[in-house]
Amino acid sequence: MSESRILYEIRNASKNYGSVVALDGASLTVRAGEVIGLVGDNGAGKSTLVKVLSGAHQPDSGEIFLDGELRRWKSPHDALEAGIETLYQDSGLAPHLSVSSNVFLGREVMRPGILGKLGFLAQKTMDVQAHADLERVGIAVPASNRPVAQLSGGQRQAVAIGRAVAWARKVIILDEPTNHLGARQAGEVLEVIKAAKAKGLGVIFISHTLPHVLAVTDRVVVLRLGKIVRDAPTSEFTVDSLLGTITGLITSP
Amino acid sequence: MTTTTDRHPVAAPTSQANPARTLRAVFANQQVILLLVLVGMIVVFSVLNPVFFSVDVFANILLDWGPVILIAIAQTFVIVSGGIDLSVGATIALSGVVAAFAMQGAVTAKMSDTGAILIGVAVAAVTGVAVGFANAFLINTAKLVPFIATLATLGAAGGLAIVLTGGAPVGGGPASAIALSVPWLGPLSTPGIVVVVITIIAGLYLHKSRFGRYTYAIGSNPFAALAAGINVKRHLTKVYVLSGLLSGLAGMFLYIRLGSGAPTSGVGNELDAIAAVVIGGASLMGGVGRMTGTVIGALILTTVTSGLIIIGVEPNWKKVVVAILIAAAVSLQAVRKSARKA
Repeated sequence: MSESRILYEIRNASKNYGSVVALDGASLTVRAGEVIGLVGDNGAGKSTLVKVLSGAHQPDSGEIFLDGELRRWKSPHDALEAGIETLYQDSGLAPHLSVSSNVFLGREVMRPGILGKLGFLAQKTMDVQAHADLERVGIAVPASNRPVAQLSGGQRQAVAIGRAVAWARKVIILDEPTNHLGARQAGEVLEVIKAAKAKGLGVIFISHTLPHVLAVTDRVVVLRLGKIVRDAPTSEFTVDSLLGTITGLITSP
Repeated sequence: MTTTTDRHPVAAPTSQANPARTLRAVFANQQVILLLVLVGMIVVFSVLNPVFFSVDVFANILLDWGPVILIAIAQTFVIVSGGIDLSVGATIALSGVVAAFAMQGAVTAKMSDTGAILIGVAVAAVTGVAVGFANAFLINTAKLVPFIATLATLGAAGGLAIVLTGGAPVGGGPASAIALSVPWLGPLSTPGIVVVVITIIAGLYLHKSRFGRYTYAIGSNPFAALAAGINVKRHLTKVYVLSGLLSGLAGMFLYIRLGSGAPTSGVGNELDAIAAVVIGGASLMGGVGRMTGTVIGALILTTVTSGLIIIGVEPNWKKVVVAILIAAAVSLQAVRKSARKA
């Protein structure tokens, strides 16, 4: 696995919010077809790192490389355009919009000809494609035209993940995708992660549920107080040793 | 998007047809209830005074409806986006008087009436757009919440209209302007027809276009909209500029109706606009609302006004009736929402 090319990389990223050091010289690499687990206690800097990787925030210092090329994201839009999809915790969907409108949000299919030029949407096409995309990802698909607000928590998460996997061309960042899910649904999410890996995507999986992390990742990166304190193959960890590293009880590699 | 070659078209499953359920769905639809309320009102007013049921009265209702629906359309986009625009009434006043000055000048310069009116329309539109940009600046750059930002422009635009005119209506414009509000297509006049066309286009854009989709997305979850790559600030700028534009056109509509630009016209109309949108079923929390609801909501408001006058009730009762309608509409939403959750 480690022989495949480095797809996405962040070097020496730091980010302060006022006097709070959220990220302190963090470096991270993801290879094509690799799943890395990003773990850490609350306030360790995971969310900040996710925001920097997804273009939502700009680091104070540090460099981002995609396919070996130095990049700068000015907005999430830039990162999306470059093929990096992010699934944010809880807040990635617009509840009043339908399933397909959410899947295509920001990337709407327009009607052909003059109507499309005038800004009109090809809603039928999007309904059909969204259904097919979600089905292909392998998750239970609700009707395309149902508002997301009417779905269960598990179904919403399925739509959010399905959207991210369907659109991702290079990297997919999943922030707590198994939160609030039952055991069976969480299992389905882990299957989706494996499918994304098989597709050759680089996957960054953030989770508090350590057994999930150990089950699907190739490598685990541990953040503590804004610093990366450990970056090692998953096979070197048990739940206990990982927990010890996160809390700082275990300091030596 | 990655597309496999063997993709079969998969029909998006919809809920099964079932006559009883369909009937219940029809009555659960706020638009249907609103339409019944409107028809009920027309019947009651007509029974109490048969004069009500005439082309003349309907023509008058539509003339009242014109400016109200223009700012209510504007308010629909703004409220669906999760904001509010309190400045629409003051923008009517300001754009009306600025356009009046422009038309006065055009007439003094011996321009034809048609030319002067077209100049008036353009000046009113530009004035409204300027207020819209001011709102967008206050919201996006000065970081004011829409309520405060548009409260500030309400005061500024309303004050400016009075300062510019000394409080008196501005006349001296094209003499034939007022004749434009004579109905010739059933109860519709030329400005009325323009308003109907604008309403239809606005409805199509709200519900069928990418512009409308982004408006709903931002009102529903601005973070999701941003994360999906939508330029939220730029979109909100467009929404408030559209609101200003339609308010400016409403100012010109009132000028044509009154034959002058009064600094007091439009005052308080923002409440009519908000009432029409809320009665129409939109949520002030954003993400919810239908243009058909707004259209009927505005019709109910203007029908109440004319109806009360015609049946001989003191017109100030209108405010009480409107207040009851707003409370009923919002309560209906809340009751239905909690019924869905139960």
